[in-house]
Amino acid sequence: MSITINHVTHIYNPGTAMAKTALDDVSMEFHDGEFIGLIGHTGSGKSTLIQHLNALLKPTSGEILLNGENIHQDKKRLKEIRQRVGLVFQYPEHQLFEMTVYQDVAYGPTNLGLSEEEIDRRVREVLEVVGMGEETYEKSPFELSGGQKRRVAIAGILAMQPEVLVLDEPTAGLDPKGRDEILDAVQEMHRRLGLLVVLVSHSMEDVARLADRIFVMHQGKVAFSGTPKEVFSHAKELEQIGLAAPQVSYILEGLRQKGFSLPKDIYTIEEAAKAISDCLQGTKK
Amino acid sequence: MSEMIRAEHLTYEYVRTVEEEKGSRSETVLALNDVTLTIPKGAFVAVLGHNGSGKSTFAKEINALLKPTKGVLWVDGMDTSDDELLWEIRQSAGMVFQNPDNQIVATVVEEDVAFGPENLGVEPEEIRRRVDQALETVGMTAFRKDTPSKLSGGQKQRIAIAGVLAMEPECIVLDEPTAMLDPMGRKDVIETIHRLNKEKGITIVLITHYMEETVDADWMVIIDDGKVAMEGTPREVFSQVEKVKGFGLDVPQATELAYRLRQMGLAVPKDILTTEEMVGALCQLQSTM
Repeated sequence: MSITINHVTHIYNPGTAMAKTALDDVSMEFHDGEFIGLIGHTGSGKSTLIQHLNALLKPTSGEILLNGENIHQDKKRLKEIRQRVGLVFQYPEHQLFEMTVYQDVAYGPTNLGLSEEEIDRRVREVLEVVGMGEETYEKSPFELSGGQKRRVAIAGILAMQPEVLVLDEPTAGLDPKGRDEILDAVQEMHRRLGLLVVLVSHSMEDVARLADRIFVMHQGKVAFSGTPKEVFSHAKELEQIGLAAPQVSYILEGLRQKGFSLPKDIYTIEEAAKAISDCLQGTKK
Repeated sequence: MSEMIRAEHLTYEYVRTVEEEKGSRSETVLALNDVTLTIPKGAFVAVLGHNGSGKSTFAKEINALLKPTKGVLWVDGMDTSDDELLWEIRQSAGMVFQNPDNQIVATVVEEDVAFGPENLGVEPEEIRRRVDQALETVGMTAFRKDTPSKLSGGQKQRIAIAGVLAMEPECIVLDEPTAMLDPMGRKDVIETIHRLNKEKGITIVLITHYMEETVDADWMVIIDDGKVAMEGTPREVFSQVEKVKGFGLDVPQATELAYRLRQMGLAVPKDILTTEEMVGALCQLQSTM
């Protein structure tokens, strides 16, 4: 599945005194199987944008294409589109309601009228992908930790077998271990199910590590886009719009200023450790 | 230095009902288990622990939203299990929660900040003075006539802090105040509470999941399984990378990098917390090679 966002503008309350342009002529292209990072400060237009991806909002002008087809072309197909583009809202665990983990994940597929075998197969598969073992199936979702609840909520969306998974700050409010568990699960889905993943995040470190390409939103427009290396090379400009480069890149910049010869395009701890070690071992020789 | 908060064998136990297929059963949960610790007046203390570790229960104990089931907790010398001191305790130890939207009650910023002192029956001129000063302190004076719903998350959280300030507390307990904010909002809020601590001498108890926010604290407490698992300066605590991670927590990025470099055989100090320290340590190391 590929998504094309073509000159999309979205104005809330158009034609009134309250009119507010949330998206201003935004164009993006997400390819099949890509991992996309979407960053920008609060109010930059990220949430408005992702609600367009599964037709919860309609562009004031411009169009959204799924595999080349305009999603608003045929109203009867909206349901199908929402199934193909799974949207995980912030704090998705607030939407858990069934008695057991298993039932909660089975809710969506049951409503699709699938056979019991198919429902069972899907529930087991997605719970495994998000790292929830069989021992949790009969637990009440409310007995689980914050990170576990959230993974169950994401599994519920995966059980609908979407081709695109859009996650709006899936790690908000979680402790470090919970954050790692969620991001590992997202990586696993991306790898195993070949989904196009769109991750909205406030963590530069996370998008630097996970995304193939990053889009930076500012005041309803795309400020930067490209690979993590391309985007984070604009550290100064990112700071001006309330963002930053991953923290480790500031350490490397400091070292370069002190005369260390280190490559410029390093944004993860793993790469940084290796580059610094190589550089110092080189000095020794 | 006198004590702001003192917990002695503080324990909080509750019974929860677990739903099961064959009906329900109850089980006892020890949310806080024999916690003994002291927070001096004027200190900036960071409290860490994974979700469910008991740290929010501790925050609620300080505000007398919960009472110890065993042990004693004193806030500014007042025993929190004494009902007659309830309002005095809550005025002395103000609280800021995670979600700014749940803490704002009025439709105009300055009215929201005035809500607390109004309820205390403070004189109108005094309220005016307190509101102006609180907004000034959090840097939100320019927004005093605005509608809170139009503000960003970080700005809303600063309004919530101003509301607590207007009660003139000795201590502010913040329970993950930055969890729902973007990086800029987080920075705003953290800078604001450091200013309150330094300029007004207000004791700060900051509960957070962001390790970077704790490096400037005077003291750090890690709570695990309802107990104090580690205590010390951020430098002492974070230098024990594996132990900290064992509690489901993390270390600042610079500390993590130092840890990996040590594993690769480089003689980098263990107790690095910031970018500047990392750069300094590597320069020194290079000069000895």
